[in-house]
Order: sequence, then structure tokens, then C-alpha cells
Amino acid sequence: MSDDHALEPDMYPPLGSLEPTPPADDQDLLERLLDSRLNPASAPPGYDELTRLLTAATAPATPEELTDEQLAMAAFAAEMRSHPPSLVPRRTAVPRKILTMKAAAAALVAVLSLGGVAAAAGGLLPDQASPVADQAPATTGADAAAHGLGKAAAANLGGAANAGSAESRGRASAAGPDASGAARVGLCRAWQAGQGADHGQKADAVAFQALAEAAGGADNIAAYCEDVTAGASAGAHGKGQGSPPSVSAPPTSVSPPSSGPPADPGPPASTGAGGHAQGGPPTTTG
Amino acid sequence: MIGPRFPELLAAAQGGDEQAFAVLWRDLQPAVLRYFQVAAAEAAEDLAADTWISVIGGLGRFQGDERAFRAWIFTVARHRAIDWHRQARRRPTDSIPAERLSERPAPDDPIAQVLEGQSTRAALALVAELPADQAEVVALRVLGGLEVAEVARIVGKRPGTVRVLAHRGLRRLAQRVEAAGLLGGVTR
Repeated sequence: MSDDHALEPDMYPPLGSLEPTPPADDQDLLERLLDSRLNPASAPPGYDELTRLLTAATAPATPEELTDEQLAMAAFAAEMRSHPPSLVPRRTAVPRKILTMKAAAAALVAVLSLGGVAAAAGGLLPDQASPVADQAPATTGADAAAHGLGKAAAANLGGAANAGSAESRGRASAAGPDASGAARVGLCRAWQAGQGADHGQKADAVAFQALAEAAGGADNIAAYCEDVTAGASAGAHGKGQGSPPSVSAPPTSVSPPSSGPPADPGPPASTGAGGHAQGGPPTTTG
Repeated sequence: MIGPRFPELLAAAQGGDEQAFAVLWRDLQPAVLRYFQVAAAEAAEDLAADTWISVIGGLGRFQGDERAFRAWIFTVARHRAIDWHRQARRRPTDSIPAERLSERPAPDDPIAQVLEGQSTRAALALVAELPADQAEVVALRVLGGLEVAEVARIVGKRPGTVRVLAHRGLRRLAQRVEAAGLLGGVTR
């Protein structure tokens, strides 16, 4: 933007030798003016009239500007009558009962997939198979699932980049081990149980390929699993808190297209980028 | 800006609480109206009302903080302004109803009024005289209270471009009013 310092051709001519033409390079001052952070009283020479103009533009509301309030309230009341809020799915409005049902469903799914993990581990790692196989189902299915669910929900709440829903992950792990979903705790434990043994062979296993994919590369599995298992113990009872992921996300984006017919922009689902379309592992589409 | 009470008010309004919605409306309506006085002055009131109808319709699905709420509302408002201009181009040029013209007398001398520090409307009229892209960005930054990145998303331009447009707009405004101040002998 170095050309910004130059006098733009579209600017008014500088009116001879008049002093108050503002220096063209005082960008910080301009930003403060744009942020309404410049006190009119302390405006430097050449800017005081401009500051006054912007102050006038942002003056407190006049009664005249609020005359349409009744109109707006009537529109609001009409909308609430035709679309009562109780029918609008919202994060906070989902009853606990549904959460419980979701947790139960996820638990079932996780039990199934943990079984698969244990079997996979057993087939590939004869030495470590029995401790892992014992451990996974013994970690009472529902509890392990709660770990997974809590973690998945946390990732969902926190991660804009990781925008898949725990629900779809749960489904995915029913079809096969999904290393980014509820089954990853089990997968990670199986992987960790084999640490010090033959990592190269493990990395080849299908189940652990999923893990590598989730971790962003085979080299990252150790760090990834450390996070996952640490998070699983820390968030052990995360199933009750947190919201049902993705229940209420509207299928719209914040930013309008820069060209083309301006359809009405829906409300943004969240401040983060992304939606359900991205971020999910391939298995979620099945 | 509403501040710390915003989440509570938003949730209440989403639940159908009229008083909560009224607080949100009163906080934002002046800014929305002023935005339209820059972007589509002839139809400012109507477009502001249209904007609120859209916002009311989508309110239940909105999630986000107050900044995101403001950004969303001005996104809707901008689309209303674009629609209006598109339709205006299809209308015959003399189709603005006479009563609308008389209900909005142009300030006799906007610069003089601004210099007296009195007239919000006159200030907006001067912003509206800027080239359209500069006027839009200045209006969203100053009237909308939006940050560069938010404005960039709304208008679909890069943040650097938004910054340059806003600076050009301000410099141009400054040259107008500062020069006028001197030439008119107004010194303070």
C-alpha cells in the first residue's frame, strides 16, 4: 500500500498553499478517527474539522431515529407468533434428556468400535494384544464412550478448523475406527501400549493409518495420543456439560458473495470458519 | 455497544422477550439508519425496517457475540442497499415520489452545519458524497463501529484495500471540511 502515501488522482486539489491539508501519511491518526478513538479536543491541526464531522456522524441517537420502534416491535411480535421460539432449535434449549440419549447412543457406538480396535490390535500385536484387549472393553464401555464423547464435544466447541460433529463421528466409528472421533482414545491406548515395540509395523496397520491421518502424520501420533489420552482423563465426565454439537448450526455463512445477487445472509453459525462440509473424515460420508 | 449484558439480552430476545429485543433494536437502529443515509439516502427508513425484518426472521438461529451480531446486521443492511440500487437502476430516473423528496430536504449547506457541530444528517450527507466504495467503507467503520477485518468480510475485499479506501475517504472529507472551514473564516 505504499501508493497510499501519494496523492490520489481522485482527491480534491490541495487548494494552493492552504495549511490545513492533512499530511497524507498519518495513517495511525486516520485509524483512530475511524475507530472513534480520537478526542475532538485533541485533534491535531488539519484534522479538527474532520474530527468534528465524524463526531457529528456518531452523535447519540435522536428521538427521530427511534420513531420506528413500534413498527419493529410489531414485526418482532408477529414473527414470534408465526415461529414460536420453542420450535427453533438452539443450543441452550436442548433438554438434558436428549443429551443423555445422545450419550447412550455414542456409548453403544464406541463400545462397538472399541471392540474393533481391540481386535485390530490383537491381530497385529500379539505381544501387547492381551493387555489392550482386556483394557478396552473393561474400561466399562459407557465410560470410555463418555471420554470419547466429552473430548469430541470439546473439540467441536473449541475448534473452528475441526468442524465435524460428534454425532457423525459416532456414526463413522460404527463403520470402522475413526481416529478423530470417539474411538480415538481406544486407538491411542492401543498404540501407546505398543510403544517401544515395533512402531514401523504398527504404522502400517489400517487402524493405525486412521490414527496417523487424525494426528496429521505418523510422526505426530505420539504427541497426538498424549493429548487425546490426557484430555480423556481430564474431561472424564464431560458428557453432561457442553452442548449437543451441531444441533443448531444454520447452513449459512457470514460473508456474502462479493458479487452476484445478494441473497439474504443468514445468521452466522459461529465466528469460526467452516461447516459440516469440511473437516470430516472420509468415512463420515458413508 | 451493549456490552456484558449482550448474551443475556440476545438469549431473551431469541426466546421471544420483546423488552430484550427492544434494547437490541434501540442500540443498533440509529447506526443502521445512518448507514443507509450514506448508502441509499432516499430510502433509508424503509431499508432499515426491511433489515430488521430479516434480522428478526433469522434471530433464533444466530449464534455469536455482540461483534458478530453487529457484523451480521450490517451484512444484511448492505445487501438491502445493493438490492435497492439494483432496482433503482431499473426504475425511471424521475420515479422518486415527490412526498419523499419533500420529507427529506437536503441541508442547505452541509459543511456549515457540520462545522457548527450540530447536524448528524449533514455529516452523513458529506460522507455520502464520497465515491461509493469509500463511502461504504467509512460508513461501516465509523457508523457500524466495525473493525477492518469485519468490514473486509462484509464487502468482500481484502483488509488492506478496506484500509486504503477508508483513508482515502477520510482525507477527501478532511480536505473538504478543513478547506471550507478556512475559507468560511470559521476558526476555533
